[in-house]
Amino acid sequence: MHTAPHTSFWIALLVGIASGSIGPFILLRRMALVGDALSHVALPGIALALIYRFDPFYGVIVFLIGAAFLVFWLEGRSRVPPDAIVGLLFTASLAIGILMIPNADVVESLFGAFPSLSPSLLLAILLTAAVLSALCFFLAKRFLFLIVSPDLAKVHGLGRGYDLALLLIFATIVALGIKLVGTLLMGALTIIPASIAKNLAQSMRRYVILSAILGGAISVAGVWLAESFRFLPGPAIVLLGVGIFVLSLPFARRGTA
Amino acid sequence: MTRNTVLSVEDLSVTLDGLPVLQNVSFTLKHGEAFAVIGPNGAGKTVLFRALLGLLPHSGLVQWQPDVKIGYVPQRFSVDRSAPISAMEFFLLQSPNFWRPSAEFASQLDQELKLMGLDRRVLRKGLGELSGGETQRVLIASALLQKPSVLLLDEPTAAVDAGFEETVYALLHRVQMERGTALLLISHDLSVVYRYAQRVLCLNKSVVCQGPPVDALNPQALATLYGEASFYHHEH
Repeated sequence: MHTAPHTSFWIALLVGIASGSIGPFILLRRMALVGDALSHVALPGIALALIYRFDPFYGVIVFLIGAAFLVFWLEGRSRVPPDAIVGLLFTASLAIGILMIPNADVVESLFGAFPSLSPSLLLAILLTAAVLSALCFFLAKRFLFLIVSPDLAKVHGLGRGYDLALLLIFATIVALGIKLVGTLLMGALTIIPASIAKNLAQSMRRYVILSAILGGAISVAGVWLAESFRFLPGPAIVLLGVGIFVLSLPFARRGTA
Repeated sequence: MTRNTVLSVEDLSVTLDGLPVLQNVSFTLKHGEAFAVIGPNGAGKTVLFRALLGLLPHSGLVQWQPDVKIGYVPQRFSVDRSAPISAMEFFLLQSPNFWRPSAEFASQLDQELKLMGLDRRVLRKGLGELSGGETQRVLIASALLQKPSVLLLDEPTAAVDAGFEETVYALLHRVQMERGTALLLISHDLSVVYRYAQRVLCLNKSVVCQGPPVDALNPQALATLYGEASFYHHEH
């Protein structure tokens, strides 16, 4: 059973805006790939939920928050190269998840769909997305400070707590979006609007605003395409976003990778 | 710690990955003085700064004057050049309101830009588009926004053209004279140290010499500091 179309548009809009709001900071921290791998951790959570018959959202959020703490802990240990461990651990959880999830549900778990949501859970998802978007704007200065000069930020009293806050906000947004685009592609939803906006914006403030707008617009348009042509929403959103990214490339300033 | 001391350091040692990087460094920084730290590459100069700022675990005593305001000028930004961050936004990191800065903040910023000889047009440039000289002056102006009583500068002319080096030091000298700001600076340039620093600390993992440049930088100290450094290592 799928929810009514207007419900999916609301989720797409608010989760898209939240993804776009956190994306610039993830991208500038060079955490894009860690973020992508992080979303795979959701899969064992979905598997457990399907086996024990509770809403997959709760399984997803517990596993993702746990993964955020794990990444934070790994980042604090300079002797361990975190990217390799994150890559191994998270793809392992993808493999475990695939083995555990019943065949009939694999595709929807990986690539997203709209299973029915209780009205209270729907409202909670929409509210959380709105609050997290606002939080990204509120914490923008502190996140940016830690990106531009971590030493200088620490001298100004900004500790690692903000690194953890960034990871937790990111993990929660990924959890919110997993029903929309699925575990494999959710990481991309946070990265694509930020990558397009990076090519177009001249300043950080415009960058974050533009990325948030693009996140909402691409998600809504993707859901519309998916419903019109009977695609899964995840691939529709990601491919539309990548298409716009390619169109934005000629606007990229020199020095842009 | 006496009243005209901004910073007092006693027996500061830093060990990284089991290797001693700094050993038993002691010195004091007085109000309004320019104090230079010199030494070969790998002597532990930047480590010393990071320990003073509490960014590295260390042993020994680092005592800042109570309610001291520290301005820190790192060597460069950590962000990649393609990041769409304007110079204005770098300054706004110091503003209570990032999205809508107050008029008071804007006028304070104008004052620091003027002191550093920067045009307001620099504010619209991206951090990655600034020249070496502009970057250095933006970093110093930003550190000055807080009206610090002491400014820590890690090789302030490392990324600057040779001709512009002199200008940066002249500007810093002006800050020291006009505002009574103490300067603690890492430098490679001995002529700069002779000209602008009241005292100098020669560092090669431990203190090699210390005092006014004309006395401290004698041929023997310089030979120990730079000339015999590699020979010294071979003995271990």
